[in-house]
Amino acid sequence: MNNIVVQILLIALAPILGGLIYGLERKVKARMQRRIGPPLLQPFYDFLKFADKRKMIVHSTHAFLGLLHFVSLWFAVAVLIMGGDFILIIFLHLLSTAVIILAGFSTRSIFSHLGANRSAISVLAYEPVLIIIAISAYMLTGSFDVSALYASEIPVLFKMPLAFIALLLILPVKLKKSPFDVSEAHQEVVGGVELEYSGIFYEAVYTAKWLDYIFVYLLVFMFGGANIWLGLVLVALTFIYINALDNSTARVNYKQMLRFCLWVALPIAFVNLLLTMFGVL
Amino acid sequence: MAPIIVSLFILPVVVSLLLLFLPKAAAKVLTILATLTLSGISLYLYYSRGDQPIQFAVPAIVDKIVLIADFALLAYVIAQGFLQRNILVWGLAALQAGILAYLAMNMPHGEYMQFYVDNLSLFMFILINVVSGVIAIYSLKYIDEEQCSPFRKKYFLSTIFWFIAAMNLLSAADNLEYFYLFFELTTIASYLFIRFRLDKESKQNALTALWMNQIGGLAILGAIAYTIFTPGYGVPTFSHLLTQAPTVGVILPFAFLAIAGLVKGAQYPFSKWLIGAMVAPTPVSALLHSSTMVKIAPFIILKISPAIQGTPVATVIICLTAFVFIAAAIGALAQDTFKKILAHSTIALLALMILMSAVGTPVAVTAALMLIFFHGVSKCMLFLNAGIMEHVFHMKQTSSMTKLAEVGPYTSLIVAVGFMSLLLPPFGAFIGKWFSIETLGTIGGAVITPGYKLISALILVMIVCGGAVLSLLYFKVLGSMISRTGERDKVKFEKLHPIYRGTMNFLLVTVLLCTIALPWLIPGYFAPVAATIIKSGVPVAFEGFALTIDNVKLPLIPMIAAFVLLPLGIIAAMFVRFKNVDRAKEYACGEKVEYNFASFYFTTEKATPYFVYAGILFFVGILLVGYLM
Repeated sequence: MNNIVVQILLIALAPILGGLIYGLERKVKARMQRRIGPPLLQPFYDFLKFADKRKMIVHSTHAFLGLLHFVSLWFAVAVLIMGGDFILIIFLHLLSTAVIILAGFSTRSIFSHLGANRSAISVLAYEPVLIIIAISAYMLTGSFDVSALYASEIPVLFKMPLAFIALLLILPVKLKKSPFDVSEAHQEVVGGVELEYSGIFYEAVYTAKWLDYIFVYLLVFMFGGANIWLGLVLVALTFIYINALDNSTARVNYKQMLRFCLWVALPIAFVNLLLTMFGVL
Repeated sequence: MAPIIVSLFILPVVVSLLLLFLPKAAAKVLTILATLTLSGISLYLYYSRGDQPIQFAVPAIVDKIVLIADFALLAYVIAQGFLQRNILVWGLAALQAGILAYLAMNMPHGEYMQFYVDNLSLFMFILINVVSGVIAIYSLKYIDEEQCSPFRKKYFLSTIFWFIAAMNLLSAADNLEYFYLFFELTTIASYLFIRFRLDKESKQNALTALWMNQIGGLAILGAIAYTIFTPGYGVPTFSHLLTQAPTVGVILPFAFLAIAGLVKGAQYPFSKWLIGAMVAPTPVSALLHSSTMVKIAPFIILKISPAIQGTPVATVIICLTAFVFIAAAIGALAQDTFKKILAHSTIALLALMILMSAVGTPVAVTAALMLIFFHGVSKCMLFLNAGIMEHVFHMKQTSSMTKLAEVGPYTSLIVAVGFMSLLLPPFGAFIGKWFSIETLGTIGGAVITPGYKLISALILVMIVCGGAVLSLLYFKVLGSMISRTGERDKVKFEKLHPIYRGTMNFLLVTVLLCTIALPWLIPGYFAPVAATIIKSGVPVAFEGFALTIDNVKLPLIPMIAAFVLLPLGIIAAMFVRFKNVDRAKEYACGEKVEYNFASFYFTTEKATPYFVYAGILFFVGILLVGYLM
């Protein structure tokens, strides 16, 4: 990822790529359920249709925070693509989530509030694991820059296999996929934070979800190191894993999710940190 | 230089005395003038600083006065303890009096300087005088609304300046005996402050604060005793101790000093006094939490950090504070009272400051200084604002603040900025936290023994989790600050008293300006101070668009972009209004429901008593490793 042109193209196209991933995901999920599924470009058709709806908002602060969420997430993705400081990237990503949580709190909608609370709990669940992974990566490469990981000759996966497992465990939380989809659980909180958005203002929140795919799969790709093909294989496998998991599990409640992340995923990441620290692998 | 520094001690004392007698209008003018003068002096001192620390002695007669004052203070404490039948208070004070008398007889005589003003002291002067001065001005209005006799109002203002004087003296003192007196002075001042309202709860909490801080005093006496009786140390002054420490190899005095600091810093198990302190009028909380009292803790640890760095004492302190960081953050989640949330987050952030000070590497010390400074300004702003919310809007609980964005947009803006400045990039507190994680990571890579590696890994996990819990807490409060309905979309700032508006504006502008100026503040303000503490240069350099401090890189472009996006974006969100867009009611699934601000209240009370026991274990641990070394 050293080529600056590729980087800028990737940043510019990130939402579109994310949309394609989302389209593919709907397709793959449908096939897993023996349905045909929507066309690959369905997310974009939806996107166009939303733009045509009547403009309605609860209040301006809420609507503006939705836009801000999209922009700040795009920014975090951009820093990740450019290979910036890992800790900073995690914080930026956390803060883009913070914006949407604030948006959830800013209305007087019960479902929105519940969704915001649950999103905040999700942050508590996955953020420590991500930071521990970042520190392990530092121990490995001697630099907090993600570009050092992209450039790593030996694939990062072989050096920190446990970190990869920990990442796989928290990805459903991050992507709001079953069994850890409490924060938007449609049957319970009707989509949570995104409930009060509609029409053109929903576009921002909707496309931000696509950006989240890019963010997450870039993290996975990173484990391939300088070997682009290994990275892509990892991304493909993770993609199938996430969707298979989403299709085959039922939702747990937020306490179980938190407990799982802090007592299973975090210790795994921690053991990985120790292994890297002591130079075992 | 020395006379100017002395004026920082004398002036607040004079003002303090004058305020007791002057009429209200004159008191107002005097307070504002004194604040301006003191701030001006402290800033001037920093900018005209030389390469060498300023040392100066005082006439021998002062030694005697200090000793007499010590005994007078202890006598006062004993009397208070007897009158209010609190055995802990008078017992601890009597014990101290005994030890002090014994020490006074064995005190070695020698020619040495009692005051030692280095960059760290100058740094503290700025924080103390500017921030406390703002609090004093704010109190002019606040205390006026308090229901008490006119004399007590004057007495309140007077005590603030007394506090400033004690803090100034404390940051300049080199002689431990002097240091002990000023330490006790701040204790007594906080005792008088906490019991200001004279109801039962205030008196009780004041006594708690008194006996807990007595333990700090006792620890300082312990440090003096060990210094006198350990061959090689001799003279009980900070500078002497620090230069002798490597050759003598006994670190017990430092362990004692660290304990004194940790007690003032309200670390577990001594957190109760700081939480109890909020029964006092709000400016007191602002004073205790931001610029004075609790900041003694990181100050002491920073002062002794070259001597304890890498020793088991530092390790235990690091473990304790990492634990307190996460424990206080968890404790804060259960709170609903705004001031209690602030108090718990103070304890957590103090733990982080002390931790970084104890780590003692160039980046860690810089991070600690940044945290001290930015936390001081932000917390002052938040607490003073809490006072406005109580007096003007009658809101104390966060759950009742959900209408604040509509009735008091300015006040809610200040709270939002205050919390963001503790949470978001590129504010100093955030960068401090970020540096903490990165620098702890680097330490883990550098140390040799497996035990240290394991500890540093565990500490990292605690810091990371504690940080996540704190963010959760801040979201909760920030969320209630920007909550509004669609019906009243207009923003019109509420009218506030000029004193309230003026102090708030000043603090708001300071927070924002210092954030923008951070790339210059780090090399120009924080790094020189850090350099004096660690006794070697702190390498700071601009490399392209990044600021590197030793081995940590601060990329400036993402920082500036983040500032525009996040804090400014969120503030903009409070004002931006979309035109030609229809408004819709919130969706409630077709049901007619009462709206309540729905937030999780975490019941963490079951866990909190154990935190105290864990804290006690750590304190014993500090002494034990200090003794065994």
